[in-house]
Amino acid sequence: MILGRVVGEVWATRKDTRLERSKLLVVRPHGWYEPRFATDHLVAVDDVHAGGGDDVVVCLGQPARWSRGEENVPVDAAVMAVVDRIDMDAQAAQASHAAPGIRRRWTPPSRWTR
Amino acid sequence: MLIGEVIGRLWASRQAEGLAGRKLLLIRPLAGAGGTTAPTSGLVVAVDGLGAGPGERVIVAHGSRVRDITVGAGVADKDVVVGIVDDLHLEPGSGAR
Repeated sequence: MILGRVVGEVWATRKDTRLERSKLLVVRPHGWYEPRFATDHLVAVDDVHAGGGDDVVVCLGQPARWSRGEENVPVDAAVMAVVDRIDMDAQAAQASHAAPGIRRRWTPPSRWTR
Repeated sequence: MLIGEVIGRLWASRQAEGLAGRKLLLIRPLAGAGGTTAPTSGLVVAVDGLGAGPGERVIVAHGSRVRDITVGAGVADKDVVVGIVDDLHLEPGSGAR
């Protein structure tokens, strides 16, 4: 799962029928493990009523399809949680790479670090 | 999923059996949290079952299971168009660039 911020919403009338009742949010990841393309956004289905500006936890890949207990939904990203609070180690947050493959473009706000 | 702009349709007279008869679109993923800045490099070739055309923005999902339940398990592409964008709203001041 990754941490990101909701920056918008997208609407589509013509879409796969299994997405008909889905709210689709545009999320800008704070960090992203080996993104496949040079984009700074992803589209995730939202069942937890996240809104613009919220920090959210997004599940990617196959488990995202299980977010509503239904496997046959053609999605690869789902909002799993809306973040209330995060405690981060300030020193670790400054490290250029938290782990191999992770691209960071983001400095956490001071209220998140200790 | 990602949002991309359809920049063309792709034809190939010689192709693997798994692609036979499938409509393939050339899609440029949008940067700038959904298209507010210039597109970046890197193109996706995705299977389209919805009837998207050049100039339209589409939602592309990735994965073998996505492929299996949309266009069928026998198709040799893991990127599938699952939606055609009508409208895109970006929050002002939300960090969108």
